This record gives sequence, structure tokens and C-alpha cells, in this order.
Amino acid sequence: MIVTKKALARRTLLRGIGASLALPLLDSMIPAFAAADAATPIKRLGVVYVPNGMTMKEWTPAAEGADFELTPVLKPLESHRDRMLVVSGLNSTPPPEQSNAAGVHARASTRFLTDVPPKRSDTSDVEAGISVDQLVAKEFGRETQLASLELAIEGRDLAGSCDIGFSCAYTNTIAWRGAQTPLPMENDPRVVFERMFGNSGSTDRAARLAQIAADRSILDSVTGRIAELRRGIGARDRDKLAEYLEAVRDIERRIQRAEEQSGQQLPFVQQPGGIPAGFEDHVKLMFDLQVLAYQTDLTRVMTFMLGRELSGRTFPELGVVESHHATSHHQNDRTKLENLLKIKVFHSTLFAYYLDKLRSTSDGDGSLLDHSLIMYGAGMADSNLHAPANLPILLVGGGIGQAPGGRHLRFPSGTPLANLHLTLLDRMGVPTVQRIGDSTGRLEHLSLS
Amino acid sequence: MATRPSGRAAFLSGVAVLGTAVWLQAGWPPAGDRPVRAPSAVETVPIVTTAEQTPSSSGAALSSSGRDLLDQYCVTCHSERLRTGGLGLENVDPNQVRANADVWEKVARKLRSGQMPPAGRPRPDAQRADTFAATLEAALDRAAAASPNPWPSVAHRLNRTEYTNAVRDLLALDIDGRSLLPADDTDQHGFDNNGDVLSISPALLERYLSAARRISRLALGRPPSTRSIDTYAIPKLLSQDGRLSERLPFGSRGGSAIQHTFPVDGDYLITIRLQKTLYNAVRGLAEPHDLEVRLDRERVAKFTVGGAEVVPPPASYAGTLSWNPEWERYSHQADNGLEVRVAAKAGTHILGVAFVKRFWEPEDVRQPVRTGWAFETDEMFDGAPGVETVTVEGPITADGPGDTESRRRILLCQPKTTSDEEPCARRILGSLARRAYRRPVTEADLRTLLDFFSASRRSGTFDQGIEAAIQRVLIAPDFLFRVESDPENLPAGTAYRISDVELASRLSFFLWSTIPDEELLDVAARGKLKDRGVLEQQVRRMLRDNRSGALIENFASQWLQLRDLRNVKPDPDLFPDFDENLRDGLRQETELFIDSQVRENRSLVELLTANYTFVNERVARHYGMPDIYGDRFRRVTFSDDRRGGLLGQASLLTVTSYPNRTSPVLRGKWLLDNVLGTPPPPPPPDVPALKDKGANGQRQSVRDRLQEHRQNPACASCHAQMDPLGFALDHFDAIGAWRATDDGGTAINASGALPGGAPFEGLPGLKSLLLSRREQFVGTVAERLLSYAIGRGIQDYDRPAVRRIVRTAAPDDFRWTSIILAIVQSVPFQMRRTES
Repeated sequence: MIVTKKALARRTLLRGIGASLALPLLDSMIPAFAAADAATPIKRLGVVYVPNGMTMKEWTPAAEGADFELTPVLKPLESHRDRMLVVSGLNSTPPPEQSNAAGVHARASTRFLTDVPPKRSDTSDVEAGISVDQLVAKEFGRETQLASLELAIEGRDLAGSCDIGFSCAYTNTIAWRGAQTPLPMENDPRVVFERMFGNSGSTDRAARLAQIAADRSILDSVTGRIAELRRGIGARDRDKLAEYLEAVRDIERRIQRAEEQSGQQLPFVQQPGGIPAGFEDHVKLMFDLQVLAYQTDLTRVMTFMLGRELSGRTFPELGVVESHHATSHHQNDRTKLENLLKIKVFHSTLFAYYLDKLRSTSDGDGSLLDHSLIMYGAGMADSNLHAPANLPILLVGGGIGQAPGGRHLRFPSGTPLANLHLTLLDRMGVPTVQRIGDSTGRLEHLSLS
Repeated sequence: MATRPSGRAAFLSGVAVLGTAVWLQAGWPPAGDRPVRAPSAVETVPIVTTAEQTPSSSGAALSSSGRDLLDQYCVTCHSERLRTGGLGLENVDPNQVRANADVWEKVARKLRSGQMPPAGRPRPDAQRADTFAATLEAALDRAAAASPNPWPSVAHRLNRTEYTNAVRDLLALDIDGRSLLPADDTDQHGFDNNGDVLSISPALLERYLSAARRISRLALGRPPSTRSIDTYAIPKLLSQDGRLSERLPFGSRGGSAIQHTFPVDGDYLITIRLQKTLYNAVRGLAEPHDLEVRLDRERVAKFTVGGAEVVPPPASYAGTLSWNPEWERYSHQADNGLEVRVAAKAGTHILGVAFVKRFWEPEDVRQPVRTGWAFETDEMFDGAPGVETVTVEGPITADGPGDTESRRRILLCQPKTTSDEEPCARRILGSLARRAYRRPVTEADLRTLLDFFSASRRSGTFDQGIEAAIQRVLIAPDFLFRVESDPENLPAGTAYRISDVELASRLSFFLWSTIPDEELLDVAARGKLKDRGVLEQQVRRMLRDNRSGALIENFASQWLQLRDLRNVKPDPDLFPDFDENLRDGLRQETELFIDSQVRENRSLVELLTANYTFVNERVARHYGMPDIYGDRFRRVTFSDDRRGGLLGQASLLTVTSYPNRTSPVLRGKWLLDNVLGTPPPPPPPDVPALKDKGANGQRQSVRDRLQEHRQNPACASCHAQMDPLGFALDHFDAIGAWRATDDGGTAINASGALPGGAPFEGLPGLKSLLLSRREQFVGTVAERLLSYAIGRGIQDYDRPAVRRIVRTAAPDDFRWTSIILAIVQSVPFQMRRTES
């Protein structure tokens, strides 16, 4: 039995390595930066996830429509009020026959973007469904280096079971490429930086260009050598070396594209050494890298977990010594509620930092924020009750429409979160998906215009 | 169309068989060599010849007895009209094997293994079938000797292991290949050094580029542009109850001995974090424990953790009812400040982080091991703390490249003036290129490298020039690929012997998984490797060298699927004792066992029959062996025949099981594949999973659940060969522990019988069965080893070479060195064929 994998090897190898890799870039595929108007599809999707529910009283505005007040958790996002949609009333409640008493955290995390309940399993035999960001990535990924980027603050847990009866795989991520493929989330900023800029040391233009020049000269030299080698060998060997040549050409194309883009003025970011010790530093660095990723068009779909469900992080910098999860089981105790509120406000302050950066980064004839749709939210509503109904969801960015002033939209109780996902897919210009999870249709009036 | 043989034909075929048998006893064909004629400078005549067979009487006897056997037993199905399985045997002449060698190889193999004729059909008696197969094989061997068919190996990319080892030997630098490069694809036998399967993609090339930059910089000790932060994590499920490494002091507990490469002389910050519960509370704070940090065995810091006078609240189920803010603060911050700034010299050093063992408990009491949810949430206040991560950050201040082994290996000279520079660079790069490209260096090679050197030297230092040239070396196709070129002027389709330099590479990648060393390269460059005596001497030298550990690690772990052991996840409810210590221990046991077998030059058969193994306390406990203490592995002899040999080792038994139960089918299949060399065909699609309970709702034993395999003839054709072998091992549960009853309480029935064979019981019975087919076993191992050695799958036309290897090693009782020498001297290893 002769193992012939020549023709397939490279593509299958591409699929095997890493989360998502794009096909070689053709010269004709230079993305056009569309003008920001309601008719043009949105360019970018971002999802930011906060764990362990929300302090709902301090999140949900009392009034609906355009005159909603900014509640304590939303206050830090004040300057973005006019591009904000607060969405209430959406459910991620599984039908009775699918709900388990245990595993609420695994469920919250998994359903947030997939709308499918996780299969009860604490071994590697996990199963859920494809997440909405991956549906978008399948479309958009054809034009970018990476189809999508999954980032997190907390590293992967390896003890096996994180929520009772449920594997850690469910709480380690919110993005699923397929029913059995949870996507790993990267939490090391050094790795993310190197994916974008290699080892050049920083985003400094001169350094990047020097790196590009060095790479190019090595590859040129190698191309010459391969050609020499190929002359004296048999056909099968020539084919193997041809693979090498193809790989070299591929990289040269990317180098060329990087060189064209090097004209862009990028903010100076030093190559991170690794994971910063402080939470705020780590989060801000990850947000900086996400802005860079959009700017360099490394990808157009990103999901980011500020924390994992069941996160036990403490926030001594806020004076909260109890762990996040413990605090979130507030049982209506006043001190715990105060502490929990501090954490939630802190999260939205950091999110505001991100939105500020997106807005102040130019993108064609607008800003990055003009050409994006960012979703912020939690997989459960009241933390103590682990309520899956009436989830706290926020949509920000040009992708939701152009009319001035934000809105608070309350949907009828029982409306599935999946309906929002379907609507988002429409707004993203992704070919019609009829259903996702337990969706029953699209949401009406989900825009500012 | 089968015809019942008439009395006379039967008589004649009987005579013919007798005649053939007499022949074979006379020791034909001879296994010796004859000197070869060399028609030109290149040896195109095979190095192996056997006496030419006089066609006359032998041919007639062969063809008539063979023809009769085929007509009697085979042609019923394999007629020209029916051509069952695509095979027609009606009109072929068993004497003319050369034309359809691959078909006849399959016929011989199926006859030998008893797979054909299928069960339930008339079969020749074993001796007749074996005799026919033997004569077929002999004819095939003759044909192969007369016209050897060494298929050319394809240009062979270095796999990750080989790359890492090559960098180690070239630059004296230990790199972590697994973090720099992605894993390689494997072939159907699980080998990752199969040239056909090793491809190169843009993603991989990018990693090579990035690795080359990093490695060259690290090798010369240029300070990195930014501080790097390397975090080493200890698996959560590794029990930190005892001394975990030979590199940690006696009396230490837990932690880790980390091998870290410091890029430059300078100051580095080492930070330690301890294991926490899901709710972020540090474990084990009830008593004070001392934590020591050592750099190359010298202590650089000592901390005390735990034991503060803070009272925790009563432990709660979900850890959510914590009302004591003082406790909260303490338990969350108890591992703050476990950091030390050290001055380190550039190079690789051992960083040892471990607790001092407190002897307030008898030494050998292990904490109950838990996994999953219970493990995550138990606050374990009274347990012992464990190390979770060790982070090395730096250099905080850099003092310079230092005097590392890499620099000494690379910088053969240091120029004193500018005019010294080019000759010095030439010398350095010439030596590097020779070893990296594994051949004498040409002026063109040097020119290329010197261009890179000069370009970088213009804007940098001498060292930076060398660094740029090293980058170019590490990306070169001459480094990354093993390319063998056909000599010019040879007609198409000619078999020839590869050059000595090419042979040196094949040898070193086979035995050491790395580039040839100076001695081997030197012998080859001087053309001495052609000499049989010199070749044998080199092989023996290489086997004695430490680097031959790579052969054991890479061949054995892949052949035996040991690498799968990393990923198995036995059900934590059924096997709560399966921790990381056991997982690692089982792997080490098998590696040490095979290492001892090869180094002591034992017979391959002893892989099955050896009555000793290597255990430490954890593995010994798993095997129920008393009175073995400590983490060090030591050799023990079994006192009974319950275990012994590879088939009694839990590593193998675990990778051939499911997470929650044993699988006689998986184990039987493994044995057919890797021991008997007769892999079963794939199962039909849509076979449903086994039911847990029988028709009457009772829990069934695995044997009962598999009864469909025996009752349904469509299943039985394959399963009758597989299941009995697996049942013999059923006394070993899914993680290889001995059991007398299964988890339903039924007594284990480890008996079985192959179709048409005698019954056997348990592992001892299985061993006897396998020993009765020892040549088949040796042939299977030799075939795998040959496949590993030449870096491609074994085809039917290679089988004469495999048979020859077995024959050559037989007088020496099939010892490892004989097998390896025979492989090195075989046609597939030493020869190639020009394109036709």
C-alpha cells in the first residue's frame, strides 16, 4: 500500500496546523475599504464576553427607546452612547428536555454564541454546535490571513472537569468551529504579536521593513538553491522540492502585502515578552493587539473572553478580595453586591478603553469603529440565580446603523438569543443561514436607522 | 472450478511435495554472498546474489505441486471468471514469479498467516501450505536477488525531532522543538519519519524562518530585543507527594526541575505560583512549608508558605459561602512574593523548584487522587501545597553573550583584525555547512553564506554576520531535506548503490535521528564506508553511543503507540488512581525495557518473553509488587508468569483500551498488526456500538457482548482471528492492572483459540502461541524497523529484503545488533534506482 499524500498533503497540513489559515493571497484580492453607509455590509465583527453573569439592576435601563438612562455599569461607555444598542429580553434557556440541573456555567459559556446546549461529558468527547462568529469567519476568512482570532485572559485549564459533569473544554472557550471542535483561545500577547509582526521587536516601521528585507533576501537565496538542486534529481524528489518552492512563493506574496501595508502608521507597540502580571495591563495589551489586528487586516472576526465562566480571579486593585465567582453568588448580601458591581463596572471601563481606541483609529474614510459591530455581554443574567433569560447584551459600532443616539430595545420575553445571531449574520452580509441553534426567526428593528 | 483430485494426481503432488521438502532441507537457497563485478566506477550490480537456480527438475516439481495446490484450494473462488478480490489464479504459473511479484507476495503472506483459504473452506494441511509458501518465497527471493528493486526514497524533510537533534549537534544548543515547530504528520503505522508524508507548507516554512532567527540569535548570545517571559506549568494531575526528579535534592517534595536556556549572562526574575482551587484559594495552607529555588543545584532562595494564624471558615461544598475577609485575603495572596532575582550565566541550566518534605506522615502514604470537579473545588486546606507555574523573565539586565558551549562550538576562531575576518568566517561557516549539509562543502555553498555574512557585517558586528549566515544554513534545502541524486550517465531504471556520503546520512538518521558526527562524515568522505568491515564497525560504534537512545525513543514509542499514552483519558470515575505520575511512569517503564533489550543485544523474541521490567514505587503499586519505594526506576524480575515482556506492560495495555473498558478487539488488532504482521481489513461501515446490557437487562461481560462476532459469519471471518488474542489479555483492565473479575463481577475468562488452532489461556498461553510463530514476529518487527530506517512504507517488492534480514539474523538468535546490521546491509537501505 503506497502512501501517496503528495497532492493532498499541503492542504491537509494547512488544515491541521493552527486554528484557521487562509489560502494564498492573490494579487487581485486587495480588500476595498467600503464607505460607511447602511447599504454596505459591515466589515468587522468582535465579541467581548464577561463571565459569571451581571448585576442586572445596575445594567438594565428602566426606560426603553432613545431616552434610556445610563445605568452604573453602562456609565463608563457614555461617550459611545450614540452608537450603542442595549438589548434586553433575549433568552438562552434550553428547552426542558435538554436542560440539566448541573452545568449552568458550561451552558452559559457554550450557548452564548452557539445556541446549542453542551453535551454532558467530562472527557474529550465534547459536542455543541458551530458558533455565529465562525459562520462569519467562513465568509470573511477568505480575504484575510486568519479567518478568526480567539483570545482570552485566562489560560487553558487541564484538570478535566470544570463545571460538574462538564469538561473544561466548554468553559475554556466561546467559539466553536464545528460541533466537536471548540477553538482554543490564546492568552499570550507575545504569540499574538508574533503572528502579526514576527520577531521584529515592535510595530516600528523601520524595524518591520528591515525584517521584511531580511526575510526576502533569505527566501530569494533559497529559491535559487532549490532550482539548482532540482536539476539533478528524479521526478518524485523534484515534486517534493516543488512544495518547498510553492511555500516560499506563498510567503513572498505575504511579505509583499505586508510591505504595502507598512505605509500605514501603526501605533508603537513593543513586542510583548509574555503575559503581563497585572490584569489591567494584560487586558489593555490584548485590546491593543485587537486594534492592530483589525488595522493590519490580519482578521475581521475576533472573540475575546475577559474571563472564563467560574473565574475565580480576585481584584485587589478594586479592593475586592473575594474571588469573582464567589462574589457573584451574592445571595443579595449588600457587601457582595457592592463588590460585584465594582467588578462589572471595571470590566466596562476596560471595554470603553477598547471602543475609544477603535474610534480613534482611522480606517479608510471613517474609523475602525464605524466599520465594526462589537457585541458585549454575558452568558447569564443574574449571577446568583444563574438565570439564562433576559441576558445582558450590548451592541456597539457602525454596524448597527447610522441614526444618531443610542437605543434600549426590549424584546418580548422568550425571544431566543439565537434570533439576534441570525440577524447579525444578515447584517454581516453572510449568505442566508436559515437556523442557528434554537432560533425562530430574525429580530425586527435591530438597528439605529 | 475445483475438481476433487483424483487418486493419481494426489499421489504425484504428494511426491512433488516430498521432493520439495527434501530440497529445502538441503539448505537451498544459500544465504551467503558472492563478490560482485563492477562494470564501471558506479556499482550497478546488486551487492547480494544467490546461486542461480537450475530451472529443470526443480522448476517442474515446483510448478506441478504449486499448480495442484492452487487448483485444489484456490481456484474455486479465484478463477478467471470470478476473480474474487480482484485475484485470478487459474492461468498463472507459480514458477514465473518475476512478472507478478507483488501478487505472489500477497499469496505467500495469506497462506503463511492462515487467512487463506478462509475459515469454513477446504484447506491444505499446514505443512503443505507452508511448503508451498516457502517455495514461493524462495522463488521471489531469487528473482529479487537477480534484479534488485530498490524503490527510490523521496526527498526526505527532517521531521521535528530530527531538526531539534540536528540543531543540538550542530550548535550545541538545546531548543524546545515542540514550541518552535508544529507536529509532523504520521503514516499509517504512526511513524513521523516517512518521507512521503512529510510535506512543507507555507505555515511550516514561516515557522522555520522564525525558528532560524531565534536559534541563531540564541546560539551566538546576542541579547534579545525584548525581555522574554517563559512560563513552565506543571500538570495539575501530577501528584506532588514525593521527589519528582533525579535533579532535585533528596528530601524534596513536588515541584519541578526545569531545563531553561538563558540567552545571555545577566539578571533574571524567577516567579513561582502555587496550585489553587477553582476559587483561587492556595491549597495546603494549614501548615508552614518551605519552598526552595535552586539554580544548578545551588540554592538561591527559600520561602515559607502557609501556617499563618488565620482560621478558614468551615469548608463549603461549592466554596461560595466564605464570610471571613481575612481568610479570603490570605488564601488568595499567600503565593504573592514568591520571586527571586538571580544572576545567571548564558546557556542551559537546571532550575529546581521544590518543597522541603515534611515528615509528619509516613513516607509512602499517598493522598487520595481525585480528578474532575471534586479535585477542582476541594479547598484541600490540610493537604500539601503544590507548585503550579514557574516563570523566568529576563534578561532584566544583560551583561553580554557569555562563554557558552554554543559559542565555543561555532566560533572556531575570533578575528583580531579586519583582514582576519574573512578567512575566519570562511573557516567557521565551512565547518558548519559541512556538518549541516552532511557533505563536503563546495565553493558555491561558501560563497552564498559569505554573502549573507558580509551583508550583515556591514551594519553590525562580526558575530552578527555569523548569525545571519547561520540563519541561511537553517533554512537551506540542503539542511532541511535529505536529497540523494542519481549519478549522471546511468540508464533509466538501473539499480545502484548510493554514495558513502549519502549512506552516512541514512545511517545517522536511522540510529541517532540526527546529522552524522565528524567521525562518520570523515570515514564517508574518504570513501571508506564501502568496506563491509568499516561499515559494521561504525554501526557498532553508533549503537554504543548515547545518541542511539533516539532509535529506541522514536522507533519504539511510535511502533508501540506509546505517544498515544500522552492523550489517553481513562474515565476518572472508574480509574480515579490514574494520575500523571502513573502515566509518565508507564511510559518510562517501556522505554527503559526496550533500551535494556537493545543495549544488551538480546534476541528480539525476548521482547515477548523477558521476565523482568523496570518499575518505580508508583508503577510497582500499580502492578501489585510489594516493597518497592521511591521514584527512581530500578530493574525487577517477576516472580510469576502473570506479566513479563511487552504484552504485560500497562503502557501498551492502556493505549489499546477504551477510557472505560478493555477492548479485546483493539488488543487483538494490535497484535495482528504489530506482532504477527497480518493486519485485518477495516470493519464494514455502520457497525453499531456495543450495548451495555444484554437482552435480559443484565450487565454483560465484554466476551458476551462480543458474541455477535462469533455468531455472525460475516463478522467471524475477521474477528475469529482477532478476538481470541485480545481475550487472552483480558485479565488486564483498561489501565493495565491485574483483575480476576470484571466490573460486573463476572470472573474473567481469558481463554481462546484461533480457527483450527489449539486453545490457549491468558498471557502465558498467548506467549506460547506467539513463540510458535517466532519467525513471523521477528519478520514483523524487522519490517517495521526497516520501514523506520528507510523512511517509507514497506512495499511488496521489499519483502525479499525483509526475509533476508530474518535469515541473516537467525544464526545469531535474532539479536538486535544482527537485525540492525542486516538492515544496514540490505538492498533498500543501500541502493537506489534511477527513474524509469
